[in-house]
This record gives sequence, structure tokens and C-alpha cells, in this order.
Amino acid sequence: MKMTAPEGLAVWLDRLAQEVNLIAPREIDGVLLYRPVRNSGEIVWEFTRPLLSIKEAFFPATERLLTIEKIGQQIKLTETLPKGEQVIFGVRPCDARGIKMLEALFTDTEPSDPYFTQRRENTTLIGLACRTMGATCFCTSLGGAPDDPGDMDVMLYEVENGFVIQVMTEKGQALLSRFSLETDDISENESEFRASYLCEQAERIVIPEMNAWAVKFDDPYWEQVSERCLSCRICAYVCPTCRCFDVRDEDLLSGNGHNQSERIRCWDSCAREAYRRIAGGHNPRQAKGQRLRNRFLCKFDYYPRQSALGTAACTGCGRCIDACPVNIDITEVMQHIVEVSQ
Amino acid sequence: MSYTYEIQTKARSLLESKQVDCVIGYEIGPRGRTRPAFIYQPEEVERLVWNQACTHNLTIYLKEQLDPQQSGRLKTKEQTPRHAAVVVKACDSRAVNVLLAENHFGREQLHVIGVVCDGIHEGAGEVGNQRSVRQFPAADPPQFQARCQRCIERVPVVFDTFIGERPSNQKSGMYENVLDDLDCLQAMTPTERTDFWLSQFDRCIRCYACRQACPMCSCPTCLYERDDSLWVGMGIGLNEKRTFHLGRAFHLAGRCIGCDECERVCPMDIPISLLNRRLIQEVETVFGYRAGMAQVPPPFVTVLSDR
Repeated sequence: MKMTAPEGLAVWLDRLAQEVNLIAPREIDGVLLYRPVRNSGEIVWEFTRPLLSIKEAFFPATERLLTIEKIGQQIKLTETLPKGEQVIFGVRPCDARGIKMLEALFTDTEPSDPYFTQRRENTTLIGLACRTMGATCFCTSLGGAPDDPGDMDVMLYEVENGFVIQVMTEKGQALLSRFSLETDDISENESEFRASYLCEQAERIVIPEMNAWAVKFDDPYWEQVSERCLSCRICAYVCPTCRCFDVRDEDLLSGNGHNQSERIRCWDSCAREAYRRIAGGHNPRQAKGQRLRNRFLCKFDYYPRQSALGTAACTGCGRCIDACPVNIDITEVMQHIVEVSQ
Repeated sequence: MSYTYEIQTKARSLLESKQVDCVIGYEIGPRGRTRPAFIYQPEEVERLVWNQACTHNLTIYLKEQLDPQQSGRLKTKEQTPRHAAVVVKACDSRAVNVLLAENHFGREQLHVIGVVCDGIHEGAGEVGNQRSVRQFPAADPPQFQARCQRCIERVPVVFDTFIGERPSNQKSGMYENVLDDLDCLQAMTPTERTDFWLSQFDRCIRCYACRQACPMCSCPTCLYERDDSLWVGMGIGLNEKRTFHLGRAFHLAGRCIGCDECERVCPMDIPISLLNRRLIQEVETVFGYRAGMAQVPPPFVTVLSDR
């Protein structure tokens, strides 16, 4: 394995930022987010995890799908596929795992989503292992780890004098070939290094298995725990795996006399009251308890049943726990299901 | 006697005598975060606490507790009007008056447990300081929230049960760090102000937590979410977000009580309360009116109704 000094890495990232869209953790008005950086000086190096996941770079909050133009009697549809190369630096293993879960649905399930898929193809992931787990992190309980390189293209591990580099995929190798990085060899081999890389891990929690959830569909717990829920959308929007979206055609103001509109999609969340309201006005999830229950069933029952991955759609990143204004805690919900299942 | 003990005692008596169906208060969760609690049984009142992390404005839950027909509930409800008790601070109590003036429920349905709050700490309701770049330990001594430093009420303006003692000196030492952010805003040129607000709204992800955390935002369907008329586009873009935030601020003018919960819940640290407080300032200047001090409609209803 090889390692690089921090200065060498900074120079390398500066070069990268000139040639591609380099996305890295940076502070925007005090909020840590994965956003484009112009140079390595803008990157934040010490953090637990940014507020939003890297999901934004593959499945943006709002995205144009196509334009619709009416020219006389004709209607012209123009698909607007995303273009441009992205490199995301400083990706945490939980975020990369989240992209894998989205991929299983967006790309690997027919019909494949060309927008997500195109962005995924255009993106290289450079991971940064965590030295410790955050107070609300529980990735290790879901088969992940704070130093798991499995879903990255290149993985970096911070050590005393710099960063150890592990190339994981051909795409990662191609990036390093294209943009050469000054490196030195380290004495350990891969397995020796991984074994010696000390990373403080939190105690594992029990995750209820897939079949444990639906049998508790009528548990009064759902109404109780949801009483303080605000029905905002924070949990869904910060989550690396939440992926619901709304689609609408909206007028475009254009001055050339053509009737123009665009088809856009944007983030949606099952937490909002009108999410499941259907034509005619019926809403099978009118009550907060029904909506909150759906959120958890979707993650731990529906997703594993429907996706080829077969795992729960949760990476244990803990963002929802931190961000919820009323402390609705996914680990508390799981603990309840475990308790009532015994 | 601690406030916690007094609140628990009162809650037990209200529930045992069936004066209320539910007491809305605060509890501490397993991770040590204070959060809203809904107590239905006298045996459970020991969950209730009072501390300086009781930041939430619990009046947001009153409508769904007292008027369940309006908001769907998982189980069917009886037709008789429900009764609830709610723990409020001075700021929250003003929200009670506004909600009553706007006829969301009857005064007789509500038992207000008003607490003389000593101030709520910065970072209340959160696990560490997760929104910041790094994990900061809690400040020592803890800082008070900006709204507490600005607070001139200190004592609930409406209550059925009064917990605490009226402070002899309302402004005892809290005013040292009052933010002059309103002055900064006023000092900007219109162009600078536009740039400032647009750069703040740019971060917005339209999660609507600000709206959901606000007791006054009670429209059954928010104007900005109507999918029949689509007054505002659905996208999470700057134009739409600007419309939402500015429009909401105007809808709250004369109604906002400045509890700042909108700003606390915002995951993107947008200074939403600053916008609302600017309009509070305007309403005070033009109409000499502060929302929620009495159970009366706002000046837009009374002053303009004769024209």
C-alpha cells in the first residue's frame, strides 16, 4: 500500500479542482455540506459527517428531466441528461453504502433511471475513513464500519504523517493514473494495515429482522411515538437512502413565443401529510402514526423485500437522529420492535 | 419545590380528576435530549421534567389534541371536545392567546401550566452541536438562546396554573449579549439585504420544518404546497424558496410571537427568525401592537376591517 503526505494530497486536490467538479466537505455559513470546492483550502478535514449526504450529487433536490416545447402543432421533447465529471472527496463509508442502496433501485431495477445512472457513471468516490464514531452513529450494527472501503473507488485512511491510500476499483485507479499523486510505500501489506488501523467503534445495537416489522403494524406504539413528530421532511432529506420524489410539468418563461415547459422532479417525503393523498381526497396515511410507521417499514421491510440487495435501507449514519427537531430516534424505534418481538 | 415536582403534581391532579385527557409537557429521552411528551395516565407523570433545555413550543400540538377532527388520528375519537393541559414559557403563552383569538379551540378546553422560565440554553434539543463543523462540547457556562436574552415578558401572559415566582427585576443580567442583528439588517442597503437573504435561502431544502414548528402556521394546506393551484413551483429552487420564506413572513406579521423555534429547527441554520422579527418590529412601529399579549385579533383584521 502507499501513503501520501498532507501537502502532496492538497496539491493533488488543487489540480483536481481545476479539471473536474470536485465536491468535498465544506462549510457554508457554518453548515457542513458536501459541495463543490475551488481548491483544497476550502475543504474541511475534521468532521463526523456533513449534514446532508452525498445523495445530492446523484439525486439532486431538484432536477430537470426534459423540456417540452410546443411549436405550432408539434410537440418537441428534449431529454436533459446530466453531463460532467464529478469527484467526491471525503466520502464517509455510510454515505457510499447509501449510494449502493440507491443504485440497487435506480439503476439495477428496471426501468433503469438514466439520470441517476449517468451521474453515477460520471462520479468517482474518494473515501475518508472515520477515526471514531459519532455519538449517534451505528453503522457497525448494519454490516458497515467506519473504515469500510468496500463501496469506494479510492479509500484514504488518516495516519500520523499523512494518508494511506487503498485503490478499490478500476475507476479509482484511472483517476490516480490521470492525476498522479506523490506517494511512498508503506511497510505493511493491506491486511496488516487494515488490522492495525485503530478505529474506535461504538457498541452494536440489535436491528430487528425484516419480518419483525409488519406484524407490529397495528401496535399503538406508532401513534405514541409520532405524537411529537412535526411532519417536516428533515429525516428524509438528510437520509442517504431516502429516495421518494415528486414529478411535475411546470411552465418555463421564455421570450421566444414558444410554449415551453419543463418536467422536473424534486425530493419528497412520506412524512408530509399530503404525501399519500390520492385523487378524490382519500388519504390512507392521514394520521402521523401511519406516516411514521411507513417510514420505518419502508426502510426495514419494503426495501429489503423489493431490492436485490436484500438489506435494510439504512446505513446507520445517524443523521436523522441528530437532525430531528423533536428527538424521534430510529434506534429507539428499533429497540421497541426488538422488545415487543420477544 | 422544584418546577419539575410542581408540574408533575399538577399533571397528576388534572389527569386523576379527568379535567384533561392529556398533559403536553417535556421529558428527557434515552440520549439525554429534552423533548415533547404526551402524558395520558396519572401513573406516567413522573416522565415530565422542567429544565433549561425545554426549548420546544408545545402549543403547536394543541390543535391536534383539541380538535382531532381537523387533523387525522390513528384511532377514531369521541365527539366530545377534548381537554388538554400544556406547559408553556412566557413566549409560548403568547401563542396560546393568538391561537385562541383565531378560534382554533375553546378556552375551556385548555389548562395552561405557565412556567416562569429562567432562560433556555443554546443547543437545547440537540445531541451535541452536530450542525457545526466539528463536535463542540457544550459551552461552559452554557449560553442562553438569543430569544431568551431578548425576552421582556419572563412571565406567562395567560395561565391557569402558575409555576415560579415573578422576578423582581425583569432584566436581571440577561441583556448583556443581546444581538443587534436587526440593526445590522437595517444598516444594509437594499441590494445588500437582497443578496444577504438570497444567499440564506439558497441553502434552504424546503423541508418545511420552520413552518411545522410554528404554532401560527396552521393552514390546513399551506399556500406554498397547494398542488391544485400551484401558486409556487414545486422545485427546491431559489425563486420558489424566496417566495415561500418572504410570503410566510408576511403571513406571520402581527401573529408571530418570536419564540425562534423556526430558526432552531432549521437544519441549514437559516436566520428565519430574523426575518420574522423584522416584521414584528414593523407591526410594533406602525400599529403599536405585539402579538399574543391578549386574546385579540391582529391589527390587520381590526384596523383594516372598517375600510
